[in-house]
Amino acid sequence: MKTKLSLLFIAAGLIFLASCSKYPPGVDRVQEDLVVYTQIDIQKDFNQFQTFSIVDSIAYIDNRDSGHYLTPEVQAILDRIVMNMENRGFIKVSKDQNPNLGFTVSVVKTTNTTVWYPGWWWGYPGYYPPYYWGWDDYWWYYPYYPTYITSYSSGTLIIDLADFVNITEDKQIPIAWFCYVRALLTGTHSLEQIEASIDQAFNQSPDLKTNAN
Amino acid sequence: MKKAAIILTFLLFAWGSSQAQDIKPTGGFMPHSYYSFTWNTVFTLGDFNKWVGSPSPAGFNFGGRYFIEKGFNAGFNIGWQRVSQEYGYETYYGPNGIAVTATNFRFTWMVPFQISAGYMFMPTKVFSPYFDLGVGGDYMEHHLIVQEYDIYENRWDFSLTPEVGALIKFGYYRSWAALIAVNYKWTSNYIEILNDKSGMLSMMGLRIGLCYILN
Repeated sequence: MKTKLSLLFIAAGLIFLASCSKYPPGVDRVQEDLVVYTQIDIQKDFNQFQTFSIVDSIAYIDNRDSGHYLTPEVQAILDRIVMNMENRGFIKVSKDQNPNLGFTVSVVKTTNTTVWYPGWWWGYPGYYPPYYWGWDDYWWYYPYYPTYITSYSSGTLIIDLADFVNITEDKQIPIAWFCYVRALLTGTHSLEQIEASIDQAFNQSPDLKTNAN
Repeated sequence: MKKAAIILTFLLFAWGSSQAQDIKPTGGFMPHSYYSFTWNTVFTLGDFNKWVGSPSPAGFNFGGRYFIEKGFNAGFNIGWQRVSQEYGYETYYGPNGIAVTATNFRFTWMVPFQISAGYMFMPTKVFSPYFDLGVGGDYMEHHLIVQEYDIYENRWDFSLTPEVGALIKFGYYRSWAALIAVNYKWTSNYIEILNDKSGMLSMMGLRIGLCYILN
């Protein structure tokens, strides 16, 4: 009897041991939460810039097709970007007025993307290429090493800030600031949350400001 | 969970005390050894509490004690423990101009192993209180999970664990008993993931479980 009980005791212990995982439950869910990620070129002095421009709609990125959105929600995002830039001393101009900086804004509609670096969408037809800004035969690049990002889920908002002042001799246009907000446009967030996320992107980038004006 | 543990502890102590009052002063058998399997709840203290503030019931311990003479005994403990907590939106600044604002998960996973020496006051009785000192170490992993990033460090340490507790037999001549114990654990481990290096980690522990007694 004692032997049976001992074996039962040991078996229960082993089952319990096997059920214990290192990672706590719920940790996977954190990976799906809204995330505001930014990266700025820390070598750049933003006081050299005075003006900026911004696209008039949001490009969507898809495995099969691409296009542009202009909904009230999208307009709110664009307006919020403009508001934050103006609060930091920049002056908005049209893209025909030779802006120092240019915002392109995109959203991942649906994608199977699992392992990419920032900038993978530059080859998609709906994306705003340099010629949208009047720079034919030019290309974007990151002057800093972009952080490895393992996935872009649907609804991820992507914002690139191009620097048209420091274009290289080999026709490379640097991205001075990069932002993505994961899961922002999935239809589950209110307009206030969307605007707050845009504000957060700027708040966590204190060097993105100018005293040139 | 915490309430349930407190109620269970109270009931077991109450039941054990009532049993202890009924027994004869010289009755029962002198154990040769016993093995325990307990469910652990840890309450982090000090800098450890700043890392993870929530009590954690995720843990267990397996131990053995061998009686040397009268109530003096020596033995071992091995176990598994995890403390974890989810934190709301916070901003982390990394190298090369990176900033990330996200909810985050912090957890520490521990594998303690100790040898111990102790004294049991009434090993022949139904209710047998004891004190114990464990000396050994831990393997700890400290993880900070922000979005898909898992930032972690692992470290071995030295640890000391004084403990008081009691065995409560399920009958006068039964081999099975409940075990309830409270301990304080000091370790030389620390956490260096966030901006500052933490102090030595310490915690309180509550153990509730079963024992099998051999005579």
